[in-house]
Amino acid sequence: MRYLFGNGAARLAPYLLITPGLLLYLLFALGPSLATVVFSFTDASGLPRLPIHWIGFDNYKEFLTLGAAARENLDALVRTLIFCVSVTVIQFSIGLFVAVLLNQGLRGTKFFRTLFFFPVILGVTIQGLMWTLFLYPIGGPLATVLDWFGLQSEFLGGQPREAFIWVMVVQIWANMGITMVIFLAGLQTIPDEVYEAARIDGAGRGQLFRRITWPLLTPSVNTNLVLTIIGSLQAWQLFYVLISYRPGTQVLGYVVYATAFGQTSGSTAGTTFRQGYGAAAGVVLFLIVLAIGITTQYLLRRREARLLG
Amino acid sequence: MTALARTAPVTRRRFSWARLAAYAILIALTVVYLAPMAMLVITSFKTLPEFTRDAISMPKSFSIDNFIEAWNKANFARYLVNTVLYTAVSTAIFVITGTFLSIAIARRFVRGSGFLFTMFLIALFLPPALIPQFQLILRLGLYNNPIGYVMLFLVNPIGIVILVNYIRTIPTELDEAAAIEGCSYFRFVIQIVIPLIKPAIATVAVLHAIGVWNELILATIYLTKADYYPITRGLIVFNGIYGNNWPVLAAAVLMIAVPIAAFFVLMQRYIIGGVTAGAVKG
Amino acid sequence: MRKLIVAVALIVAACGGGATSAPATPAASVPAGETAAPVATPALSGTVRVLIHQNPPFVAFMDAFNKTFETNHPGVKVEMEVVNANDLMAKTQSRLTAQDIDVIDIFAFDRGVQPFMKNVDAPGWQSLIDAGLLLDITDQAFVKNYDAASVADAGSYNGKVYAVNLGRVGYSGLYYNKDLFAANNVAVPTTWNELVAACATFKAANIGCITAGGKDGWPIFVGAYGLLGSYFPDQLGLVQGLWDGSIKYTDAKWLELLGKYKVYDGEMIEAGASGIAGDAAPGRFASGEVAMQAGGTWYAAAIDTLSPSFKWGYIPFPGSDNAADNQFMFGKYDQGWAIANDSPNKDAALAYLSEFSDPANYQAFVDAVGPIPTQPDAKLNTTLGAEIAPYLATFKIGFENYWLGPKGVGQYATPMFVNLFKPFGTFDDPAAAAAQAQADLQSGLDAAQ
Repeated sequence: MRYLFGNGAARLAPYLLITPGLLLYLLFALGPSLATVVFSFTDASGLPRLPIHWIGFDNYKEFLTLGAAARENLDALVRTLIFCVSVTVIQFSIGLFVAVLLNQGLRGTKFFRTLFFFPVILGVTIQGLMWTLFLYPIGGPLATVLDWFGLQSEFLGGQPREAFIWVMVVQIWANMGITMVIFLAGLQTIPDEVYEAARIDGAGRGQLFRRITWPLLTPSVNTNLVLTIIGSLQAWQLFYVLISYRPGTQVLGYVVYATAFGQTSGSTAGTTFRQGYGAAAGVVLFLIVLAIGITTQYLLRRREARLLG
Repeated sequence: MTALARTAPVTRRRFSWARLAAYAILIALTVVYLAPMAMLVITSFKTLPEFTRDAISMPKSFSIDNFIEAWNKANFARYLVNTVLYTAVSTAIFVITGTFLSIAIARRFVRGSGFLFTMFLIALFLPPALIPQFQLILRLGLYNNPIGYVMLFLVNPIGIVILVNYIRTIPTELDEAAAIEGCSYFRFVIQIVIPLIKPAIATVAVLHAIGVWNELILATIYLTKADYYPITRGLIVFNGIYGNNWPVLAAAVLMIAVPIAAFFVLMQRYIIGGVTAGAVKG
Repeated sequence: MRKLIVAVALIVAACGGGATSAPATPAASVPAGETAAPVATPALSGTVRVLIHQNPPFVAFMDAFNKTFETNHPGVKVEMEVVNANDLMAKTQSRLTAQDIDVIDIFAFDRGVQPFMKNVDAPGWQSLIDAGLLLDITDQAFVKNYDAASVADAGSYNGKVYAVNLGRVGYSGLYYNKDLFAANNVAVPTTWNELVAACATFKAANIGCITAGGKDGWPIFVGAYGLLGSYFPDQLGLVQGLWDGSIKYTDAKWLELLGKYKVYDGEMIEAGASGIAGDAAPGRFASGEVAMQAGGTWYAAAIDTLSPSFKWGYIPFPGSDNAADNQFMFGKYDQGWAIANDSPNKDAALAYLSEFSDPANYQAFVDAVGPIPTQPDAKLNTTLGAEIAPYLATFKIGFENYWLGPKGVGQYATPMFVNLFKPFGTFDDPAAAAAQAQADLQSGLDAAQ
């Protein structure tokens, strides 16, 4: 775009204004990330004064292929994807459903909207602690309900798969509000006249939704998809609060943190400091997220162009 | 707001199974959302032996002992203030620098704008580069320092992407009109563009604030002095020490949650409005 | 008079620049029995930053100790951070790297690389030493307060001392509620079958059999260390056997042991134990709702604090059907102190440790926290002391101290470190668990060839 605001020195104005932002980005995002990539090819430990050697792809080989540990890493990878897909699909659906419900002008809409959005504001720690209490296995609320059916469960402390599912439940519970609210706003941009016209033409409810609401919601759909997918791929703090580092439950983000900071729990592997190795795990995670993210963006962009011209 | 509702004739209030079902679902969801909070409230008024004996009984007396104990044992007011400060300062700085950055990139006023935008897109997916970031903050001498902590939150690729997309929807004729009027770049940005992109700025600000507010791990790594803890870290530490005493822990969580709830109810129009404003246009 | 001394000390501190180069063990000259150090020593100043792990009696003791230390050294302020034991190493690493810590609470130097091990990662503490992050305290006078064995086994590396160890803990025992046992006519179990019968009796009476603080993960499987000990009294030998293949998890002995793990997980540990925070287990036990608690000797202090009149005993976990196998106590060296090599206030840090190591202060620590003392003159005068006295002579260092797995092993390579069986783990069948464990271990052993 042609610059219209003067020549000579005035031409530098935009550069001046972007400098702080750009500098911050280079210093705090790009720089460290590049450094991480570099570290992933070394045996750096994260401690000062220890010698660092270039070891090429050894970290990657170990992470992806060495023994049963590598299989567990791949499991973590798969688990991350499962988490992302499940959370996205369920949260998206529930959010959309609730938004459609609330868009009908029922009584108490404002109350429901506030209530469902509320957990978002509380933050990860409070959400986690609230649910840890709610899932207290010795006579807690959910434990009691299960007891009525003769069932018993350890919830977050029990089977890894069950604990994992509960984390998903909490994640969805906590973030459905954002999805819902964005859809609500999107629904409200659709003018009544469009519905009227379609109804006059004899469209039923299902058709109304499929032919009118859904396509016109595309911007909200896109925003929500991007937010949820990326959010769920990188969100592991809830795991930290709810179940900490348990084998069989980790997602890749947590693995990266734990290997970098030697925070593998209790007695299992002892603590070792392997920043290079952790960095390799981080790069693997990045590549996965990048692949998913770019694919999603591409597909969404294409669909948007098709639907909205 | 009332689009879909007008399927029933407006003249008579007809009982609709669909409406009943809708209410039923909403009420069920309300239970799901209120139950954990209710449990928190009930637990916070019990004594530990009461809780150990029966986790879901109603408290015998509504004593506030647990709250007093929690208040004395940790500096929650401080944590709240810290969180607010971190959030406000980092969001303000990010919004300002990010807006300038986005305007220049969106209009390609800067060489390499396309490349920069792609870099930000890629940065969306970057995992936090924990150790190099740590080394950087260390070398800057900002470890265990609120300023250092704030600096971790001055970059947010999602914000940039949202802003750039939004700015691109502003017609370029506006730029021409402004230039003809003799606007300098600064005036153009500040007096013309920024007012127009207020919705997007709101969204970005709220999303960013929620991110900072929510951060637990970075607080764990970088802040070791209890006076600097934000709420997230403060509560986890409190949990580490009092995790065996659910009533007191519940009281602590409530003490933090209530002011947040109050703030939210008061400001919900802006918060929710903020999230949605710039997100819907895409 | 006090004020004058304080004033003088402050002036000396301010003008003298604080850190002195005098040998930093003023407290060693204080005769044993006197806990207040005289102020007429090189004035210390500045801050001593201390990092410790969460253990309520220990935290309480440290709060008191810090206050006394600050009173004795008016120019010094002590800043203490408490973190969950699971987070201790991560915190230690970041604070040491940031040069933001002076005194660290560090667990014993265990899992050193044995000669028969290949392709292993050096344990965390060794990396810390190699990186020059821990101060060499070999020549400090206070080190001599501790018995030589503990210094050599738990705090030394390559002939130099980097940490003093504050005590051993036993972790292979069971706490039992004397009143509940008497009320239900249950004799103290000395064999596995007796334990199973006891549990059945308690369950029939609707009393939980064994509790543990399962929320933190490790307390449940640590509770089973006694089971392991009754089958493998020589635990270094066990490690070596696993490494060279002479012991396999699929052996008959292990299958039998795993079968008992299954009973322990599924039928003995009370339902819902995974919701109990580690520090909440003593409370649960002391409340009288359960008959026993599986855990180490470090809980004793908490139990006594919570309920001083509570009558309890501590016995080795009877894992074998033969009573003679069940009379050993297994444990490890537990916590200790080290000093950051980059500490800006080494003199104060050394004085801090020195004062802590003073026999009178150390005895107070033992009284409060209850470890098996590593100072020759200290005595464990508590109920715990009496309970474990018969086993001290044959105290054995346990598995945890020795085990280091080759790179690439799966998570089940050390089944004693994982809650294997339902409801806390995924396995139902000991044979399946054994096969998985051996496969996980084998993958690392094979890669190490």
